[in-house]
Amino acid sequence: MSIDRLIEIFGRLADHDSGESPSRTLCNVAAGFTELSGAGIALYSQEHQLTSLGTSNPTSHELLDLEMVLGEGPCTDASLGEDAVDEGHLESSTSMRWLAYTPIALSLGACAVFAFPLRIGAVRLGALSLYRDQRGELTELQSSDCYLMASVVTRAVLAMQAGAPPDTLAAQLEGEGSFDFTTHQAAGMVAVQGTMLIGDAMLALRSRAFSSNSTLSSLAGRVVSRSVHFDPSSGEWLEGQGRRQGGL
Amino acid sequence: MAREQLLIATLVELADNLVDNFDVIDVLTMLSDRCVETIDVDAAGVMLASPGGELQFIASSSESMRVLELFQIQVDEGPCVDCFKDGLAIVDRALTDPDDRWPRFSPMALALGFKSVHCLPMRLRGRTIGALNLFRTEQGSIDANDIALAKGLADVATIAILQHQTSINARTLNDQLSKALNSRIIIEQAKGMISQATQCDMPPLLLG
Repeated sequence: MSIDRLIEIFGRLADHDSGESPSRTLCNVAAGFTELSGAGIALYSQEHQLTSLGTSNPTSHELLDLEMVLGEGPCTDASLGEDAVDEGHLESSTSMRWLAYTPIALSLGACAVFAFPLRIGAVRLGALSLYRDQRGELTELQSSDCYLMASVVTRAVLAMQAGAPPDTLAAQLEGEGSFDFTTHQAAGMVAVQGTMLIGDAMLALRSRAFSSNSTLSSLAGRVVSRSVHFDPSSGEWLEGQGRRQGGL
Repeated sequence: MAREQLLIATLVELADNLVDNFDVIDVLTMLSDRCVETIDVDAAGVMLASPGGELQFIASSSESMRVLELFQIQVDEGPCVDCFKDGLAIVDRALTDPDDRWPRFSPMALALGFKSVHCLPMRLRGRTIGALNLFRTEQGSIDANDIALAKGLADVATIAILQHQTSINARTLNDQLSKALNSRIIIEQAKGMISQATQCDMPPLLLG
């Protein structure tokens, strides 16, 4: 662990605009400090649901969104496995580890993707997601910087949650650029529209986002604003508000 | 042990302490001892502010330093008190008797054999959480590298202290975070279900 680098991270965090959310600051500092194109923080809930805590730019947002849609990708692997994920050449990746993820990530402009587990000892939170718009492995310094940054993010997230009442997210973890719960609201709506279980509604949303080349968050936004809905009689997704549900 | 090896050993020890078995007093006592071993000072000590903003004695490399730290708190005067209040380093301050700046502290320090003092604020994100005292039995200027080294050690100790609470509670906190996230997800799903069933729009404030 390089103390100079640790102090550098804290210096960058201290210099950052106090107006942005802490999670956005962490992502911006992560991207700048590791000299990569973008960064995101992915947390795993108890149900092993990947949730984005924040991202530094639109592409890192779309990359995390893509992992939520597909259920595969670097953060998923890094969160569940032991090791960091280092795919410096996504295009020529021979591992075939993410058949669906890889071509879409490339089309989003991510030529290299990296993910570092967020953990302290056996305690695991999720992963720090990083990408670069150019191919190439991480240098040794970048790699150790990423590990260091991931450890700072882990502690920072836990420090923010410390002191929040039980079963409540800390206020610092909410707000602009933090958790986006629209997807879960949309899943609730689709569950009622299609009279299905919430898990199935989430799957339906994910598959719809995939098949319509949409991001999960934009599809969810359209469901919540009632510009699209799921029609159970035809099994189709239709524009507009749909029929009024009886009963309540 | 060579100076570099000592320094590396110190940093590794501090880094280890970031993870488990953390004891603030152990870490700061080690910091004080290592300052005396690695740089040209004769005694070192750390004072930290309590949550109420009062300075408290935490660690020292020697008994005479301990006495002087407690004395500074008692009379509310001395290098550590100034350094903490101003957040500015004090370097190469020769002690004299009489002394306009510290009329009570200086004679006491001179009586215990110290002739010059240095004091570094322990700062992070604009906040001063305490100060590192470095006392010498001779006058004259301290090497700039020594000051840089002491500052590096103080910075790391500062970070270690601020992260302390997080480290020991990692498992509990992660469980809480995970539960909180899960409850929140369920609440948001329920909001979606109610919104759909009742055809009421999601209140804008609750959208995100």
